[in-house]
Amino acid sequence: MNHVLQRTLRSTLGSAILLSAVAAVAMLYTSGGGASRSSLVSEMLANFILVLGIQVFIGNTGVLSFGHMAFAQIASYATAVVAIPLALKAKSLPDIPFGLESVHFGPIGATIVAVIVTVTIGALLGVAVCRANGLAPTMITLALLFVVEQLVKNWKELTRGAGGLSGIPIIKGNGWLYLGAFIALVVAAFFQEMRIGRFSIATREDELAAPALGIRIFTSRYAAWVVSIALTALGGSLRAQSLGSVNPKQFTLDAGILILVMLVVGGMRTVSGAVLGTVLITAGNELFRQLGDPQQLDIERFPDLFLGVALLLAMLLRPEGLLASRDLMGWLRRKMYRPAVAASIAPTVGTRPLTATDVEVHFGGFVALDGAGLTVRPGEVVGLIGPNGAGKTTLFNVITGLVDETAGSVRLGDVDLSTENPVGVARAGLARTFQNLRLFPTLSVRENVALTSLVAARHRAHRVRPDVDLLLAEAGLTDWADREAGTLDYGNQRRLELIRAAALAPEFLLLDEPTSGMSDTESLAMVDSVRAVAALIGAGVLVIDHDLGFITRISDHIVVLNEGRVLAEGSPEQVRANPAVAEAYLGSQA
Amino acid sequence: MTKLIQTLVDGLGVGSTYALLALGISLIFGVMHLVNFAHGELITVGAYTAYFFVLHGGSWWWMPVAIIAAAVLASVTMEFVAFRWVRNASPFTLLLTSFAIERLSHALWQIFVSPKQRAFPKPFWVFNQFKLGGVSIEVMDIVTIGVTVATLCLTAVVFKRTMFGISVRAAAEDFDAARLMGTRANRVISGAFAFAGLLAGVAACLILMRTPSADPSMGSDWLMKAVIAAVIGGLGSFTGAVVGGIALGLLETLTRAYLPEVATGWDKFSTAVVFIIIAIFFVVRPDGIFKVSHAERV
Repeated sequence: MNHVLQRTLRSTLGSAILLSAVAAVAMLYTSGGGASRSSLVSEMLANFILVLGIQVFIGNTGVLSFGHMAFAQIASYATAVVAIPLALKAKSLPDIPFGLESVHFGPIGATIVAVIVTVTIGALLGVAVCRANGLAPTMITLALLFVVEQLVKNWKELTRGAGGLSGIPIIKGNGWLYLGAFIALVVAAFFQEMRIGRFSIATREDELAAPALGIRIFTSRYAAWVVSIALTALGGSLRAQSLGSVNPKQFTLDAGILILVMLVVGGMRTVSGAVLGTVLITAGNELFRQLGDPQQLDIERFPDLFLGVALLLAMLLRPEGLLASRDLMGWLRRKMYRPAVAASIAPTVGTRPLTATDVEVHFGGFVALDGAGLTVRPGEVVGLIGPNGAGKTTLFNVITGLVDETAGSVRLGDVDLSTENPVGVARAGLARTFQNLRLFPTLSVRENVALTSLVAARHRAHRVRPDVDLLLAEAGLTDWADREAGTLDYGNQRRLELIRAAALAPEFLLLDEPTSGMSDTESLAMVDSVRAVAALIGAGVLVIDHDLGFITRISDHIVVLNEGRVLAEGSPEQVRANPAVAEAYLGSQA
Repeated sequence: MTKLIQTLVDGLGVGSTYALLALGISLIFGVMHLVNFAHGELITVGAYTAYFFVLHGGSWWWMPVAIIAAAVLASVTMEFVAFRWVRNASPFTLLLTSFAIERLSHALWQIFVSPKQRAFPKPFWVFNQFKLGGVSIEVMDIVTIGVTVATLCLTAVVFKRTMFGISVRAAAEDFDAARLMGTRANRVISGAFAFAGLLAGVAACLILMRTPSADPSMGSDWLMKAVIAAVIGGLGSFTGAVVGGIALGLLETLTRAYLPEVATGWDKFSTAVVFIIIAIFFVVRPDGIFKVSHAERV
């Protein structure tokens, strides 16, 4: 409970500070006088909510969406059809369907209705968007944008077509917009403090590592989507009520790109970045608008030039945005962080063995594994070796659910893991590392470990969880805890990946070439690190490596694979003495 | 029956223009994983080139050469000025860079020429019609389909037979490996942009012969369709781009021609229906028709 309070306090405090800064700038600007200045501030505040709306989805999940403007549009029109006074509505929309001719709401009611309607539609469509991978979600949202645009332009009974609707009662002053902006700030900031929000950030950082640590991509992405649609709807609704009219031109792809530029120029990963970007782009836009010729109707051309230049410079010089990872909320988080002094607690030692039996994998006609199997007993360190192409990594991927076996089974005790996906395998108690290092590079070292610890708290509560700071100390990373993980040197990154896996409180650690690219002395040190971490969490270890010296030092038991089958197994001495192994590695003597 | 054939011919005409543009987008995606939203600007460049030459007494007999040359030049310049510097950035950064160029292009035409549309005369024969078994066909339909087929054949020859084409395909397969084999990254990428420019230039000629006018944002609509076509086909797949382009063209003309018969009152939603079908397609088959697999080692 204490944590929830702390997080709420932090988000609210941070938001209040940011908004006060924006308000101060706005106040200074409007004090120069003129109604147009005040309306520019309204425009900025409405955009501000929209930018925070897309920040929650795009910024946290890293999935580009062009479709958010469609939802702003739905919200704006929903607001219009329920807020326009009945007499006026009868005149401008005589054939309005769904019995809307007699529905009327005040400003607050209309906003709530708009948000509910939009979130309902968005939640349905979001299932499709969040299930897809790669470019598909972006393309789906792009198609949605055009669908909504066409519907609005053509469903004249409801929307009056391209001309738009006017006569929405205007809310006077910017008070409501400030309130809306504050709500949006707190929601966006709090989302990043929540477990589900942090999980969605993990999926942004690495789409393969997150599931391998038990984070389901769909769930976290979907949560971000729904929250983001809600904020977008709020922004759309308030904007409609501050302008008094809606028309399809306000929600084109171009309008969406303006919002997107605001987000990426400031820095999409953080709330502070979204705030800075909105203020800078609004100011720049206005400045360039005044350069244009007011006699001409086409006053948009100079702002267009500004947008192009701003976006191009940002991408060439600071693709992560001006603030990148710097964030007021993050700063507050670090300042408020107090590590709990953890007494080292006796770990739960596993009781179940990990067994893979008669695993066969065929890639087309190629047989990668031909009846290989192995057993790792609780607390034991098993090394898996074999020449290139022997099937080590394939067996590893079968066990962790990345590759489906053609035949055979993988079991943890009496639990069958054969059909589980990586998320299920991780939650069942197998935590892996990757051959080519898959950290969450822009997150802090501590957050890398803390994220997995969160998964453990949720799905592996029956095990004693290792303390995050204790693990950091074990790996010698305490002093680097607040650094971005991607900035660590190679050896430390390897150690971080090891303790990140350990934080899952797994029964088995699966390490894929933990010493690749390391020097001999570093490899030796890694033997101690792996053993110490495994002992700390009471886990068994299955490790692949090319380095025979490392494997024989670290393993209690060695399995040698060759051409998809187990060639030999036994203690390191037995394996070393086995002539068949020497032959597979060095070629026949005869 | 006549209506169906008529519709199919129309669809092939629009679709082959999409195909040429989609092919360029797919080609660039293959070599640098960039979905180039600035690709449509090459049409705009071609249009203003044509406008400029018409003002100075240009004739449609040689203008296509100028249009294509301008598009190639613009495409290579684009790469040199912007994409070269973000080559190893994330797809997200690449995509936004292309948006920036698109935006800049719009602004520059607006400021230095005019925000208003500039029209110029079309070749006189474009809308001449002749009858073929009861179906009236425009000369332009035949020209469009013929030119597209010729261009696609040229593309096939270039990418199957020439050293340049093979290097580009190798780079699309695995850039690092191709570099180790001695392929020069800069040359391959510039070359790919030049070829994409050529394809866009041909497309621009076909578009301009029908609708001879230039305006700053004319490239954007074509671009959207082309991107969608390329993704439908499967980004990075050449066959996919062509199939995707033709499929999209046919889908558009068929919904426009036949939707009112399905349900009266629905005709006004024909464009919406096209995009709904596209959205559903991406949900069902997110990697496109011809999936290009990028093996990722884990």
